[in-house]
Amino acid sequence: MHIEVNTIEKAYATVTAVRGVSFTIASGEIFALLGPNGAGKSSIIRMLVGMTRPDSGVITVHHQKQEYDHVPRRYLGYLPEDRGLYPDKSVEKNLLYLAQLHGLSKAEAQQEMSHWLEIFELSDRRKEDLKQLSKGNQQKVQLIAAVIHKPALVILDEPFSGLDPINQEKVVGFLKTLREKGMTVILSAHQMAMVEKLADRMLLMAKGQVVLAGTLAEIQQQAQPQPEVVVETEQAVSSEQLAVLLPEMVFTQHTATRFSVFLPTTTQLSGCLQQLLSQFSIRSVSMQNPDLHQLYLAAMAAHQQEVQP
Amino acid sequence: MISRQSLIVAKWEFLRFFKWKQQLISYLLMLGIMGAVFAWSYFVDESRSEYRIAVPAHYTLTNTAQFQFQRPTVSLDEQLNQLRSSETWHAVVAEDAESIVIHTAAGKKWQQLLEQELQQYFRQQYGLAQGLSPEQLAKLSEPVTLEMRYLDDNYKGSDRPEKAVALAVLFMLLIGLSTAFGQLLMSITGEKQQRVTEQLYAIVTPQQWIDGKVLGHSLSAMKAMFTTSLVMLLGIVVALLFLADKPLALDWLNWGVIAWLVPFALLGVLLCACFMAAIAASIDDPNTSGKGAVMMITWLPLLFTYLVIDSPTGWGMTLLSWLPVTSFAAMPVRLAMVELPWWQPLLSLVLLIATLYWMRRVAGRIFLRGMQMYGKEPSWADIMRWALSSKTE
Repeated sequence: MHIEVNTIEKAYATVTAVRGVSFTIASGEIFALLGPNGAGKSSIIRMLVGMTRPDSGVITVHHQKQEYDHVPRRYLGYLPEDRGLYPDKSVEKNLLYLAQLHGLSKAEAQQEMSHWLEIFELSDRRKEDLKQLSKGNQQKVQLIAAVIHKPALVILDEPFSGLDPINQEKVVGFLKTLREKGMTVILSAHQMAMVEKLADRMLLMAKGQVVLAGTLAEIQQQAQPQPEVVVETEQAVSSEQLAVLLPEMVFTQHTATRFSVFLPTTTQLSGCLQQLLSQFSIRSVSMQNPDLHQLYLAAMAAHQQEVQP
Repeated sequence: MISRQSLIVAKWEFLRFFKWKQQLISYLLMLGIMGAVFAWSYFVDESRSEYRIAVPAHYTLTNTAQFQFQRPTVSLDEQLNQLRSSETWHAVVAEDAESIVIHTAAGKKWQQLLEQELQQYFRQQYGLAQGLSPEQLAKLSEPVTLEMRYLDDNYKGSDRPEKAVALAVLFMLLIGLSTAFGQLLMSITGEKQQRVTEQLYAIVTPQQWIDGKVLGHSLSAMKAMFTTSLVMLLGIVVALLFLADKPLALDWLNWGVIAWLVPFALLGVLLCACFMAAIAASIDDPNTSGKGAVMMITWLPLLFTYLVIDSPTGWGMTLLSWLPVTSFAAMPVRLAMVELPWWQPLLSLVLLIATLYWMRRVAGRIFLRGMQMYGKEPSWADIMRWALSSKTE
C-alpha cells in the first residue's frame, strides 16, 4: 500500500488543525508522525481512516492497482488515540468479536488470536474479563485487535502510551514483526527513543504544519543543530571558569570534570579546544550526534521562534 | 439489506444483555410471586366462610350459604355479652329508634356482604308494606337489560375478547419499548464512554453498526415481550386449571387478527428502536445530556391509542392507525375491534415499512455525524439537519 498526501488542510469550528501538509508513505515502511499535543497528528490519521475529509488537498491511497481517497476499511488496522474495548467481556470474546467483524471466520479468528496472545504472553489470561487486566495488558489486547485480521496498513495512534519500558520494547519488537510481514505502519508517538529505533521515515509537525520530514539521517541534516562537543578534564572545572574561557559559546556542565560545549559552527572546534588546552589537562574529547529527542526539541524551538511575531 | 457485519453486531448486542440464568430466576420469581398472591387471596377470602347472625325475632330473613340468621330469645344485652365473650355470634343486628344497628367485634370484609343482604331484605319489606305482590317485587329487583345495537356492521363491539388482546398487545409493546430504551441508551452511550466507537468505525460503516444495534436490541425487546406473554399465559393457565378448577378454552382467540398484530408489533419495535438509537447516538454523556428523555417519545403512540381505545371507529383512532409513526400501536387495536378490508392494514404496514427504512438511514446519518463532533454534543438543529441530509459516509 502506497499513500500520497498532497497539501491537505483541515479546520474545525475554532481552530485550523492541518495546514498544507504533504508527504508520501511507501509500501512496507514504518512511518512516524511526531509532534506535540495539538500538532495535527490525530487529525491527519482521522482523514487517512476516512472519519473526516480534508477541506482541501488530496489523499490518494494506492493498493492492488486501485486508488482510494482514504484507506478502505478492509485493508486497515486501527488503534485510535481514544481507545477502549468492552471491559465486562473476556479478552477472548473481545478479540473474536472484532476479528469476525473484520471478516475472519471463527476458526481463522481463533487461530490468529492464539498466535498473538502467545507473542504478548497473554494466553493464560484469555478467559479473564478485560477489566481484570492491567492497563499495559489491555493496551496489548488493543494492539492485537488492530492487527488480528492481517491488514495491509496499520495505523497506531500513540501505541506506547501507558506502557512500562519493558512493554514498550515489546511493542517495538511487535512493530518490527509487522514490517517483516509486509504491513505498512503509520504511528504517532511522543517516545522519541522508540521512534528512532523503528521508523523508516518520519514527519515532525507543529501547529498543523510540517517542521521536518524524512529519514533520521535526513532530519539530522535538515535540523542542523549546534554541534555538541563532550569534554572530560583531569581536574575540576567550574562554570565561571568556562564562562570566562568560552564567552561566546553555550555549555552544559554534567559533572565537575565533564561538560558539553555547543559550537555555533564546526569550524570553531579547533579554536575552542586550543582555549581549553591552554588552561586544563584534557582526558578526552568526543563529538556527539544529536538524537531524535534533541532534534525534536531544537526543531520545535526553531518553529516557535519562526511563528512568533 | 442487512450485511454480515450488522448480523455480527446484532448477535453481540443481543447476547451482551442476555443473561439466561438471571432471566430464568427472575421469571421463576415472577411466577412464584403470582402464585403467592393467588394463594394468599384464596386463603384470606372471607366469602367462603359461614357466619352466624343474631337478628330480632320478627325478621323473616332466609339463610344463605354464607349467613345463618338466628332469632335468639335472650335480651339484646345478653346477645352482646355473647358476642363479646364467645363465638356464638359473628354479628348481632338490632333496631334503634331511627336505624338498624349491626354490632360486631371488629370491622371485616364479609360485613359489606351482610350489609347488602340486609339492604335487599329491607327493600323487600318496604315493597310488601306498600302492597306490592312478590312478582312485582321480583321485577323491581331485576336489573334492566340494556342492549347496544350498532348500525355500523364493521364494528365488532366493545366487550369482545379481541379488545383484551388489543390491550395485551399495547402492554407487551410497552414492555418491549422499555427494554429497548434501557438497553440502547446503555449500549450506545456506554460504547462512547468506553471509547470503542472510533475503533468500530474503522471496521464497519455507521449504517452497518446502527443496523446491528437496532436489530440486536429489537430482538431483546421481542424476547422480553415473548417471555412476558408466556409467563403471563402460564400464570393464567395454572390459575384456571389448578387453582380455580375451570376448563381452559382458547376458542375466543381470533387467529386472523393475531396474524396481523404480530408484524405490526415487531415493525413498531424496530421503528422505535431506530428512533431511540438515533437519539442515543447524539448523546455524548448520558449523565449530563437531557436528550435521553426524548427517547421516551416512542411511548406516546401507545398512550394516544389507549386514550381512544373505546372509540375504535372514531377519527382519532383512524388517524393514528394510518400515521406510520403510530400505526404499529393503533392499527392492531383497530383491527381487533373493527372489521376492516384487507387492503387497509396492508397499506398501513407498507407505510410503516417505508418509514422504518427512512428512520434507519436517519439513525445511521446521526451516528456518523455525531461521532465526528469529537466530544461536543450536537444541537437539535444539527440533528434535524443531519436527519434531512443524504450523507451516509
